[in-house]
Amino acid sequence: MNRIVRTTAFALSLLLLPLVAFAAPTQYQLQVDGLACPFCAYGIEKELNRTDGVENIRIDINAGTVTVTMAEGGTMTEAQASRIVEDAGFTLGGFEEVRAQASNKPE
Amino acid sequence: MKANPIAVLLVGLLAVAAAMPARAHGPLFSPAPETIFKGGTEVTLGFHTAKTTGGGDREKEYEAFVEAEYGLTADWEIGIEVPYTWKKSNGLDANGVGDIVLDTKYQFWRRDLPGAQYKAAAFFKTKLPTGDDGGQPRIGSGSTDVIGGLATGYESRRWYWFVSGLYRVNTEGAGGLEKGDRQFLNVVGGVRPVLTEYEEPDTVVMLELNWERAGRDDLNGAGLADTGGWELFLSPVVWWTYRQVAIRGGVQFPIAEGLNGNQATSDYRARLEFIYHF
Repeated sequence: MNRIVRTTAFALSLLLLPLVAFAAPTQYQLQVDGLACPFCAYGIEKELNRTDGVENIRIDINAGTVTVTMAEGGTMTEAQASRIVEDAGFTLGGFEEVRAQASNKPE
Repeated sequence: MKANPIAVLLVGLLAVAAAMPARAHGPLFSPAPETIFKGGTEVTLGFHTAKTTGGGDREKEYEAFVEAEYGLTADWEIGIEVPYTWKKSNGLDANGVGDIVLDTKYQFWRRDLPGAQYKAAAFFKTKLPTGDDGGQPRIGSGSTDVIGGLATGYESRRWYWFVSGLYRVNTEGAGGLEKGDRQFLNVVGGVRPVLTEYEEPDTVVMLELNWERAGRDDLNGAGLADTGGWELFLSPVVWWTYRQVAIRGGVQFPIAEGLNGNQATSDYRARLEFIYHF
């Protein structure tokens, strides 16, 4: 019986290990309406870099999206994202939390 | 050691640009509907030259200027432009600080779409009589003039267009000369030939059509015959940007004119601007 418990516990720990060791950071994808040129998009990068908890920003100018990676424990609300985008001169067209690629390193 | 006031002003304007935001592409020789967002500052260092000949006159002008804009809100900005002018007219030379311009712009409409933006703004400028109007040629007009207008436009990943109209009211200046009021109409098209990614150099080319009309000048209340009329310019413009750095330049070529009497006409005008965000 003890052997079965130990084996089960070992198997579970093996399954959970990747989740602990490679905890994925929280990411949000912002659909930014009005985003048409790289020069304009720099304003969004600046606004997001001033925001607490933001660790990395990836702008896809052709898709009109901004992917925001938060530092560990950091979160962003849709209202917060909307204000940042409005302050940069654009409109938030969509906001969703996306599954980040598992990695033990920041991007 | 006495500080040069122009150097102090330039340093001051650069210093307030610490929170500079990015702005969209706009025309070079006509107003754009873009505004800076709240708390943002933008500084432009520019160079402008113009040459006019005809009617027995020959004038060439070079102007360096610094312009700063500040966003009171996301839709409302104020600004100042300080020029330094070198002028050569019929063998005489003069240079000095020109007429300082104060301006404000309010973007009253904006519609954002995926990858595109429509917008419209109203603007108002005041040109102050700060330039030397006592020498020959005159660097300043000696008059306080006001300019008002509307601009609208569309910007997408590939295409641009802008339309604007301005009216300039001139008042009596140095020597009792009151320049005629001026009207301006502008139509602009632009294209981004290559769609680049965010962190790549980006180029946009534009073609402006600029129509200008001036009323007759008055000298001590009497109209001057060889003044006023209209000119039409075709103006190619190139924008080059890389992240927070922008360089834009263009030339205005006169393609048609209907000037009154015998007077000098424009040969060309050229403008180059450096914009840096930091």
